Amino acid sequence: MTGAILFHELTARQRIAALVDAGSFSELLPPPERITSPYLAQLGIPVSFDDGLVIGHARIGGKKIYLAAQVGQFVGGAVGEIHGAKLTGLFKAAARDKVPCVLIVESGGVRLHEGSSGEIAIAETMRAIFECRALKVPTIAVIATDIGAYGGIGILSTCCDFRVMTEHGRLGISGPIVIEKWMGKKAYDSANRALVWKTSGGKTKYLLGDADALVHDTADAVRDGISKFLGKSNAVSLAALKARQKDLAKRLKRFGAATDPDTVWKGMGVRNIEAASLASGPDFAALAKRGK
Amino acid sequence: MKKPTPKKPSARTVLVRLFGASAKGIDIEKSVLTGYAAVDGKKVCVIGTCDGTYIDNGAALRLAAHVIECIEKQPKTPIVMLVDSAGQEPNRVAEMLGLASYFGHLLSCLELARRKGHKLITVATGQAVGGAFLCYGMFADRIYALDSASVGLMPIAAMSAVTKIPAPVLEKLSKTMPSLEFGAAPFALLGGVEEVWSASDDIQAKLAAAITASSTEDNRAELGKKRGGRKLALDIRKKVLAESAR
Repeated sequence: MTGAILFHELTARQRIAALVDAGSFSELLPPPERITSPYLAQLGIPVSFDDGLVIGHARIGGKKIYLAAQVGQFVGGAVGEIHGAKLTGLFKAAARDKVPCVLIVESGGVRLHEGSSGEIAIAETMRAIFECRALKVPTIAVIATDIGAYGGIGILSTCCDFRVMTEHGRLGISGPIVIEKWMGKKAYDSANRALVWKTSGGKTKYLLGDADALVHDTADAVRDGISKFLGKSNAVSLAALKARQKDLAKRLKRFGAATDPDTVWKGMGVRNIEAASLASGPDFAALAKRGK
Repeated sequence: MKKPTPKKPSARTVLVRLFGASAKGIDIEKSVLTGYAAVDGKKVCVIGTCDGTYIDNGAALRLAAHVIECIEKQPKTPIVMLVDSAGQEPNRVAEMLGLASYFGHLLSCLELARRKGHKLITVATGQAVGGAFLCYGMFADRIYALDSASVGLMPIAAMSAVTKIPAPVLEKLSKTMPSLEFGAAPFALLGGVEEVWSASDDIQAKLAAAITASSTEDNRAELGKKRGGRKLALDIRKKVLAESAR
């Protein structure tokens, strides 16, 4: 039904419906339970019956998964006490049942209106994610929207085994508006969309190795991307961390003085910037590989 | 009446308070702490920040390298993490290079340490705000704070500036919602800090006891409920676990 509509244009519930086997999704703590934020109510801000997070279990290709989808339209998908507790609970359930857990990210981070509660919830969820990883239960973050993964949720996304991104997805900590205010418009013009996406978008993250897959902006492509990782895990081992340490140090040395993202693109094997800018998903990946 | 804010001690003074003479084994380079010290005569590995510095990609790597070294060369040695950092400096190049991934790497190194039997204890000594606290300090087994530390998401003035909610409104609400209040004590009410240590405490004895009592079981939601600062989190989590087991 949603084949023609881009994945980033869908709502959280539509994304789930488009990704999983037909009729297989069963929501936990669904909206009829009306669990809403007392903080927002006190502040006179509209609440949502799911607190901006849809969680449940479903099947992809017949395989059971737990999944969560953040609702970007509701306070930017930001994490409050309830939203965060649902997320922690879901990853804990995944660890208990040894069922892979997929997080469809769309969040600017901690919900400021709820103060430190959301921050602690993110820290607790990180612990739960690593509980899964210790048990070799795959954890996958899908980052495919403009809101993307920022702040504490950006950090949390990097704690998962794998990240599936589209070119629309953005991964970072500080957003462009904050950086522009800090560094000035000359250093970072937040209205320059090309620059913003080349700074934090899926293509650059894929080139650097922070996204494990770059897929087209469709539900089918995202599902295929997820499926590839469902049977795998990325162990937290000494050998892997030593290799990562080397890789990140090398990256910093190579590109730490770069101001132009094209330097990174070229350095990571993109020969034709123009063509690569227009290419999507695996087509982009192929262009980058060619130059290596 | 507002209590006066305790005076901010220097980085070295804080280290000596925590580790006595053994604090000399801790290097301070560009406000990043790495080294080894002793607590109750037993060796501990120390990583951390001071002077309210910003943590950038390079700082995260230096902390991670020290954790890896400790895992390899000092098996099961407890790791004490000190936090006095304003967080990440908003910077385009840092973002382009994937600062979040550098933080994720540091967290992964700490996770490996935990799995390999290193106890992880955090002491918030100065600023422990937002991302600075999330990228290593809040990942400990048990978290403590000096009462002079600034702990929390952000001060009310900053929260007001971003949310456009007038500061007096937030100020008033924070009286009944400690989550909105900024500081070590309200953060402890949420369960985010196990215990706040005051200037008159024997900090070295406190730290030794903290290492002994440490457990890898995350108890923050339980504490938050028991102390009444974060009433919903534990029950919501339990509800998810119960509904998913059906």
